[in-house]
Amino acid sequence: MATRVDCGDGARARQHVFLVPEYLKDASKKTKSGLMFVKLVNPCSGEGAIYLFNMCLHQLFEIKVFKEKHHSWFINQSVQSGGLLHFATPMDPLFLLLHYLILANKQGKFQPLDQVVVDDAFPNCVLLLKLPELEKVLHHVTEEKEIGNKKYYKYSKEKTLKWLEKKVKQTVAALKTSNVTVSARVQSSAFFSGNQVLNDKEEDYIRYAHGLISDYIPKELSDDLSKYLKLPEPSAPLPNPPSKNREAHSSLNKIMSPLQMDNTTSVPANSPLGCILNNWDAFKADSLNKSRLTFLCNMAWPQYKLESREIWPE
Amino acid sequence: MECRGEAVVEKERIHLRPVTLCDAAPATLHLLPCEVLVNGPAPVGRFFTPAVRQGPDGLQVSFRGRSLRGEEAAVPPGFTGYVMVTEDRGERLKGKQDFSGSSDSDGEGDEQELVEAPESLEREFDRFIGATGSFSSFTLWGLETAPGPDAKVHGALAWPSLAEAIHAQVPED
Repeated sequence: MATRVDCGDGARARQHVFLVPEYLKDASKKTKSGLMFVKLVNPCSGEGAIYLFNMCLHQLFEIKVFKEKHHSWFINQSVQSGGLLHFATPMDPLFLLLHYLILANKQGKFQPLDQVVVDDAFPNCVLLLKLPELEKVLHHVTEEKEIGNKKYYKYSKEKTLKWLEKKVKQTVAALKTSNVTVSARVQSSAFFSGNQVLNDKEEDYIRYAHGLISDYIPKELSDDLSKYLKLPEPSAPLPNPPSKNREAHSSLNKIMSPLQMDNTTSVPANSPLGCILNNWDAFKADSLNKSRLTFLCNMAWPQYKLESREIWPE
Repeated sequence: MECRGEAVVEKERIHLRPVTLCDAAPATLHLLPCEVLVNGPAPVGRFFTPAVRQGPDGLQVSFRGRSLRGEEAAVPPGFTGYVMVTEDRGERLKGKQDFSGSSDSDGEGDEQELVEAPESLEREFDRFIGATGSFSSFTLWGLETAPGPDAKVHGALAWPSLAEAIHAQVPED
């Protein structure tokens, strides 16, 4: 660290402004290593995101970035452009495990955990298996079987929805004690009777909490959860257009984004590879052999509509 | 998985030096309502800090002739603020040799920083990061008027309490 004195005030080096839980400092006194930033999957988008992993306390933290246009930091005697504020907050690893359980469930059978959590794109996912508390909470989202001392798991949508409903409830409680504005309708609802205002508000809290939790689950599950919570579509007779309402509900999600990685691996959705990636489930990786690709190129892709001035390879 | 050695996995990690969390000296931070497109040293203590005044409605200062109003923003309870910097590696050392004494290359370096995306943490994989400063509050500046309770930053500072609720274990049936 002594060698870094020249960069202490940001001479050349990029400085990251972080807020992290206090207890990481205390924990760090006992160990010389064990805190590291790793790339893992974002369970909502399936893309890469950066997490902080504590090997000693066996904890997972997600990194969210606050970013607003036109901001910069003065840090001691230096300036840092961008004005980014990073948050490291404890993350329930079950959301990440759920991502793998749902993927594994396509095969529709009970599997041991170390066969479920497999990811070539994010090899650090094996760290998840080192979280000792994880096995105790798996029953919230899986059916399990024990055969000869080994445990086998299978994703259960019913149990997961129940678990997510509890998550929504405790998030609603936290929203009520926080100062977060959950509704853009507060003013407009003054036009309705008192009773209506109350109903509206509870629904707004649930919708907002649903939006926050949807950041950790795939879109399909988020839609199922919306039905399970009996969330109606935003009602029509309100003076605000629905798009405006939705914006208000996702406001916190909008200013706080997961620390994403450069998206250099993404491909246009209407390209042949994009088509494969979008329909990955239908392909099954082991069926992607040369003859199948030839079939796709000659038979399947020509049926997709192209943007103007694009042509398929002959 | 078999084809991936531990070395490959290591490349995907940035190690945070725990000892730096204890050793980090207090740092003074200001969040400005404008984009300064440079990363590097700045004589904040010569031009900015001495001009800060306590006015009737909060802190006042001016930056590049524009009037700023400020307020203190506290780090959420249970959290500590850190300024983190990644440690040098080979390529950077090479750049440093050129740097010996000449100030021209200094300006060039700043321009290179500009081109980088702000979310450059990913570029730093397979290296070490350490805290160089710590803070428990920072000054939040608004243009002409103080940012006030509706400022988005305040919404962001409420995030840890919501995150706790989202990620807390749920009660058993």
